[in-house]
Amino acid sequence: MKKIIYVLLAIALVSCRKDKQPVTPTVTTIDNVEELHTEWYGSWVGDFEAEEYDQNKDIVYVNKINISIKKITYNDVIAQSIVAGNSRPLSGSFSSPDADGNFVLTEPGDNKYDGTFTFKIKGDTLSGSWTSINKNIPVTKRTFKLVKKQFAYDPELMLPEEGDYVDRYNPKMEKTEVTEDGETYNEALFRQASESVRTINGSTTALKEEGLKNLKKIDLEIIRNTIFARHGYTFKKKSVRQFFDPVEWYVPVSEDVSGDLTDLEKKNIVLLKRFEKYAEDNYDSFGR
Amino acid sequence: MVPQSSKANSILKWIWRLAFSIFFYLMLAITLRYFPINPDVAFLQIKQSEISSVPAYFSVFYIHVCSSAFTLLAGFTQFSNTILRKHPSIHKRIGIVYVYTVILLSAPSGIYIGYFANGGITSKISFMLLGILWFLFTILGIRMIKIGRTSAHEQWMLRSFALAFSAITLRLWKVILVFLFHPPPMDVYRIIAWLGWIPNLLIIEWYIAKKYKK
Repeated sequence: MKKIIYVLLAIALVSCRKDKQPVTPTVTTIDNVEELHTEWYGSWVGDFEAEEYDQNKDIVYVNKINISIKKITYNDVIAQSIVAGNSRPLSGSFSSPDADGNFVLTEPGDNKYDGTFTFKIKGDTLSGSWTSINKNIPVTKRTFKLVKKQFAYDPELMLPEEGDYVDRYNPKMEKTEVTEDGETYNEALFRQASESVRTINGSTTALKEEGLKNLKKIDLEIIRNTIFARHGYTFKKKSVRQFFDPVEWYVPVSEDVSGDLTDLEKKNIVLLKRFEKYAEDNYDSFGR
Repeated sequence: MVPQSSKANSILKWIWRLAFSIFFYLMLAITLRYFPINPDVAFLQIKQSEISSVPAYFSVFYIHVCSSAFTLLAGFTQFSNTILRKHPSIHKRIGIVYVYTVILLSAPSGIYIGYFANGGITSKISFMLLGILWFLFTILGIRMIKIGRTSAHEQWMLRSFALAFSAITLRLWKVILVFLFHPPPMDVYRIIAWLGWIPNLLIIEWYIAKKYKK
């Protein structure tokens, strides 16, 4: 009988203790995985501007960057940086909501162009800087001011009216201009795309040979790359980025969108590629 | 005065021979791009709708490409007075090859593929008309020699060859137009479709008039 009383007492004590002391020992671990600021999750997009760079190198001053925040806890932050054809995982920490420069995130370090991002989020702006790990690359520091922009695939998106779609990277040098003194100097000729890049949609219409025959290589390339841009492909070539980085709706999200392309888009890409090759081989040569 | 002009003439002849050899070589190179036979090569890359929907297009296209190279050979021999005087059998044999190739293969195939030409109605009319005239001039040329009218024969054959030579001039105009104005490819095509042979005919008419109607 006595034993039973002890047992009951013991049970009573234990249960009593449970009621009185709720979860204190587990508090820290729960807090560590508790997600903070989920309203900051998603893509932050804007210009990635060179600040410290090798003056003698030909660099791209501005690229469009997407810093995509995936998870924020007290212990770690997981994110992804997508810029200039390079998608890199970011990990690091978030110091505290009130401290300055509260995010410090690093890229893995196994890529020549990896570095560390330091930024804070204030209101609707994420701003900060990036410094490279390797100091022997042309650009060692870049700054950015980004705003939240959600990526969504929309096949109807078209290039905007305002762009002039002139290829600034591959000028053709021609000795043409003659000044009054009889001097000649080299004049750079830049390829300009036609109106077709704003009207032909390779994501919604089955393109036909007939509709492509009068297009130059630059038109065909832009029409094809617009399909990839709609899927958020990050372009490795600066000659392609020059047309898409300034486009408001364009958000680079992935290095590989081949799995996202629709059958229609895949067919159009094959056709456009064939015409590009033909244009490349034949446009200005003797033959056809 | 006389020796000077004949010297100038012979220089001109050599320039013509050299230029013609270079262009003949380029035309051969263009033809060889179609070998091994492939339905998706060179020009055919932008003719896939015709390849898939018009069964005869592919073979007729190949007939045109292959046979036409032979017609240009005539340019080396047929207008040489030396060959005509010293080796008339060479003139006759190559002439026969030229005539049969044009009227049986090159001109009919040219008219046929002209019907499917790029650049719409403008270039279709041009290429078909070119093919029809080429056929007629060649027939007239052979008819004239059969009835012994040698100067009429020469005149019609000059016209016929001026049209055959459009294979070269239209491609030359293309290079010039693209170099100068960078127009869209089909705009170039519509222009060269006509520019390729009309000036040739005008030049040869002027030459004939100068030579025969003094």
